[in-house]
Amino acid sequence: MTSMGLEARIEDYLAGRMPHASDLRVSGLARISGGASRETYRFRLSWQESGALQSRALILRRDPPASLIDTERRIEFEAYRAFFGSTVPVPEMLWLEESSGALDHPFFIAAEIEGFQAAPALLWTEPYLAAHEKLAERKWTILGEIGRSDPAVLGLTTVMAAVAPEACWSRELGYWEGVLDDDQTEPLPITRAAIRWLRANPPPPPERLAVVHGDYRTGNFLFDQTGEIHGVLDWEMAHLGDPLEDLGWSLNPVWTFGRDLAGGLVPNAQAVAIWERSSGLKADPAALQWWTLFNCVKGQAIWVSSARAWIDGGNREPIMVYPPWALQNAQDRAILKVMGHL
Amino acid sequence: MKPDISEVLIELSALVARNAAPDIPPADRAGALGLTAALLAIAGRQWDEAAHNLALENRSIRSLLTIPGEDLDIRISTLSAENARLRALLIERHVEVEGRDSRAEAEIWAELVASTARRLAPGSPV
Repeated sequence: MTSMGLEARIEDYLAGRMPHASDLRVSGLARISGGASRETYRFRLSWQESGALQSRALILRRDPPASLIDTERRIEFEAYRAFFGSTVPVPEMLWLEESSGALDHPFFIAAEIEGFQAAPALLWTEPYLAAHEKLAERKWTILGEIGRSDPAVLGLTTVMAAVAPEACWSRELGYWEGVLDDDQTEPLPITRAAIRWLRANPPPPPERLAVVHGDYRTGNFLFDQTGEIHGVLDWEMAHLGDPLEDLGWSLNPVWTFGRDLAGGLVPNAQAVAIWERSSGLKADPAALQWWTLFNCVKGQAIWVSSARAWIDGGNREPIMVYPPWALQNAQDRAILKVMGHL
Repeated sequence: MKPDISEVLIELSALVARNAAPDIPPADRAGALGLTAALLAIAGRQWDEAAHNLALENRSIRSLLTIPGEDLDIRISTLSAENARLRALLIERHVEVEGRDSRAEAEIWAELVASTARRLAPGSPV
């Protein structure tokens, strides 16, 4: 690790990536709180080019020493790039660095979409309360558009692992059960019962294979006061699979924020109807229940991993304690609810 | 509750001390202290209830599984270790009765529902 400040190291790195620029300056570097799987910073880059002073607001997403989600940042980077300029709004990706030399850990730099909000807590205050219907319409319409897009046309079949339609459910369940096996810090009788039910009642293959965002929920997109969405963020768990998987994650009861509404916004049936209209797909109720319960198990695996990363000492940030303390029991209650026991 | 409350409180005390330094950027300080406040609120609630709830739950699971024993050492670390042992046995029992003994299954689900009520954190979304 070098003793240079992060600003100077970013300037050095970008000087090598911007051969026509000179006098690069990083200013206003600030960590954005909330990111537990990547360290996220906002900063402004200014530079001289063609005799003029230029400036741009940028985002740095850097791998932390230990994360609650182990993901490939190239897949995240390419997923953003694939949807840039489409009806699915995403920030523009600029540089990806997969080595650890420049900033100690792999990272990417993207353009910042300025002037909008992501924090769910704002949604329960004025003037956002009046925008819930519109926001829900946009939220599940965009998710439907992700589900109807062709991964091959997007160029994502070359970077994301292939999966046979009939294996979508078993690959995902096997992966997250493995995470629980590796990372659990105490027995989880409710989550284990859910896994047994999921294995005994598998869903049918998807109507079509799609790009699955993997973390599509209120809190992972940028919104304004009118309910418009300006950027879908956090593609780090993106993969190929059943589009119902994303719909199920968006209906995970932990994302109701205590309001008993999908994403804290509208009743589940309304969210599903918007998604069906946009995606052109049918959300079979039994299959959707399976994917919603699966996502409760996945959520639990993520919260447990967070506890494990803290306990093992790899990451002692307080954000790593919050998920297991605040969400692990809520996730168990979500499982009980989806299974009809609560 | 994992990570252990006592270990987290020690770590948070160091974090607060670091953020008392005058040269911490305001955004970093706000992020660190906001989360610290949320964690302290959860720990504060658990402080009074943790031993009671663990002892209650251990007694309930022993009764359900007809296992003899009692909690003589009421340190939270000891109660937690016993709770983990008993909940592992509860999983085994659940697997045994699933689809075979609906009454036993219902009793286990009732205990599991009660266990989440005991663990409710302030502001829990579910």
